[in-house]
Amino acid sequence: MDGVFAQLIVLGASGMLLTGLIVLWRRGVPAYITAYRWQSWLLSGLTAAVGYLGHEPQLYWIAALLFLLKGIALPLLMSATERRFGTHRELRPYVNTEVSLLIGGVLVLFAYVLTRPWMAVTELPTRGGLPIAMALLFISLFIIVSRKKAITQVIGFLMLENAVALLAVVGTYGVPLLVELGVFLDALMGFLVMQIFIYDIHETFETIDVEQLARLKH
Amino acid sequence: MGEYVSVFVQTLLAVALAPALTGFICWLKARLQGRWGAPAWQPYFELRKLFAKELVVSQTASWLFQVAPFVAFGTSVVVASLVPLVFVPMASDRTGDLFAAVYLLLLGTFFLALAGLDTGSPFGGMGSSREMTVVALTEPTVALSVFALALTAGSTNFGEIALRTLAQPESVLGPAHVFGFTALFIVTLAETGRLPIDNPSTHLELTMIHEAMVLEYSGPYLALIEWASSLKLFIFLALAANLFVPWGIARTLAPLALLGGLAALVLKLLILAVAVAVLETRVAKLRLFRVPELLSASFVLALLAVMSTFFVR
Repeated sequence: MDGVFAQLIVLGASGMLLTGLIVLWRRGVPAYITAYRWQSWLLSGLTAAVGYLGHEPQLYWIAALLFLLKGIALPLLMSATERRFGTHRELRPYVNTEVSLLIGGVLVLFAYVLTRPWMAVTELPTRGGLPIAMALLFISLFIIVSRKKAITQVIGFLMLENAVALLAVVGTYGVPLLVELGVFLDALMGFLVMQIFIYDIHETFETIDVEQLARLKH
Repeated sequence: MGEYVSVFVQTLLAVALAPALTGFICWLKARLQGRWGAPAWQPYFELRKLFAKELVVSQTASWLFQVAPFVAFGTSVVVASLVPLVFVPMASDRTGDLFAAVYLLLLGTFFLALAGLDTGSPFGGMGSSREMTVVALTEPTVALSVFALALTAGSTNFGEIALRTLAQPESVLGPAHVFGFTALFIVTLAETGRLPIDNPSTHLELTMIHEAMVLEYSGPYLALIEWASSLKLFIFLALAANLFVPWGIARTLAPLALLGGLAALVLKLLILAVAVAVLETRVAKLRLFRVPELLSASFVLALLAVMSTFFVR
């Protein structure tokens, strides 16, 4: 039974990685928001599953919180932002889609190679999720540096935060509730601050394309 | 000896059932779109009609043009005899494995592309060029998603892979299986010329891929090509079903087990056919220049499948 659970957890982590890749593949902010929502739901389900597997009841609370905050509240806020600025037209990233996807594949490979020593020493049944969490981390960073719209970069940042949470859950069976709460609040504050930034960028430049920020130099 | 007879019967069965599968997808698509649709056995009537027609061959065509339909049909039949459909392990497992099957199917495509170029008509050439572009992009994905399975089973043999999955049922939930299946499904759509890569029902010059390539064919040759392509779809779907979800497949040659295997195969094919029909109703054809994006996504999926088996053992 534990074997099945471990497989399910690795599968869920892979699903989260997949939502990261969907951001690289699709164009248009609504698809990104949907991907983020699914990713958060998966993360919440995973946290509950790890709580069951490791007999850690407090992970259930974290899972519920994750679901409410990242699965429902943040996507709703993002949709509101997206509606206000009407940015759902095609985004032109710095790197085209095919190359982005291939770079994503290389990043995943890199993550697997990087976590090899870690995998060798750990005996956790969820260790299959470690390289995947690391890969999601790299892919989120890549999303942040390769996309032009501020809102996409915010989604990249939120996915980065999800990746860190995933890493904590599969690598150590979760951190204490207090620390987790602090991280949540940080993420929420970060998101709100970024939203204000997006709003100001939009006010000043009439667009949220960050390339336009180069005009600040003149 | 009994094994060889059963392989023969199984191959005949695949060849006989393949047009019905294509017909079923067409019928279901029609119903989903609110039309009556032709019955599922319509392709048989079409094959009979085409076989009865006169053969018209362009004067500029060489022997390649005449050989290609037979190569396409022949390779499909051979592959149908290599793939586990109703039972494992098969006698022919010793001669053919994943690589043989995949590359034999490609051989047929290759010859069709040559034939498309052969007559010198602009549409044929355009179709061949597009088909080769798509095939070149799907090729790595096929190989990789196959590797993912072969790495888990420790063998490229179809029977071994299916038996290994049966022995370790929890491995079906692993990323190798799920991603490998998704990648292979996307590739199946691309290789068999379905939406969103190619529209099987279009004859609009600008969007054709497979149809443009075989535009010069008529009569019995066209019938062979149509039959070969529906057989190809049948093989790909059966492969995806039996390698990734092998339950229900017969493991002995007892009549009851064989009957159960046949029922399981038909059920799995029906489920996959429904999936294809629903997908084709929901999505529009991709612009040709966006096809590489979809195919590179499937490539990355296959890469993930391989990595998750190769590094985590």
